[in-house]
Amino acid sequence: MIPINAVFALGLILFGIGLLGVLLRKNLVIMLMSLELLLNGVNVILAGSGYHLSSPRGSIFAIFVIIMAVSEAAVGFALVLSYFRQKKTYDPDEINDLKG
Amino acid sequence: MITIAVFIFFAVLAVVSAVLVILQKNVMHSVLYLAFTVLSVAGVFFCLQAEYLGAIQLLVYGGGIVVLYIFVIIIVNLRETVREKRRLFPKLFIITMPALLLLEIGAVLLQNKSPVSPGPEEALSFTSLAEMLFSNYIVPFEVASVLLLAVLIGAIIIARKKMLHDPD
Repeated sequence: MIPINAVFALGLILFGIGLLGVLLRKNLVIMLMSLELLLNGVNVILAGSGYHLSSPRGSIFAIFVIIMAVSEAAVGFALVLSYFRQKKTYDPDEINDLKG
Repeated sequence: MITIAVFIFFAVLAVVSAVLVILQKNVMHSVLYLAFTVLSVAGVFFCLQAEYLGAIQLLVYGGGIVVLYIFVIIIVNLRETVREKRRLFPKLFIITMPALLLLEIGAVLLQNKSPVSPGPEEALSFTSLAEMLFSNYIVPFEVASVLLLAVLIGAIIIARKKMLHDPD
């Protein structure tokens, strides 16, 4: 039996690394990758909870999280592509077209 | 015992490659480390007896999302670099927010009681997962299919060239 604190720690560490990536990096593609890391951390915690409660609900919720991650990646990349075609940069600080 | 050893192995691999994802200068190297992280997390899922989740992770992340990332990086200019300098206020925000999160997580973990309490006994098998997914969770399942259809149409409409009024 894997201790639940170890599973939670792994999930939280992955979540923290992803959060740092989103906050620290200024490349849009790497920020989207860090979002995938965040969602992976959440999935680890859900799977660990399901394992410890011996319930399939953890896996089911993690599957829905994966579906959401796929949607986010597809739409996010479409936005990055169209943004890149217009501005020729990935810098998120340049996204200020609506600024008054 | 061997399960714990395998779990620790995959956990260390996942954390190390996740750190390398956000440290790389080259975006393509980042994507390859992301693929490595995803495969290690799939190994963690197999250790946690979530076989279906691990298989989905391998197929969807390893086969789908990573390839999507590689395509996008090939399409957009790889040599485009972004200056990683920031002003003072965003820097302070970046340092404080994860520190606060870390404090909160430490406080929760140090309370030394299990954060989840056992519910009614359910079997952790493939069959029970399928039965529950198609009975209790059938509405979210169908909503997810509608979401995926909307994402398909939306991504095509956003990414196609014709909408941009751009001569090239």
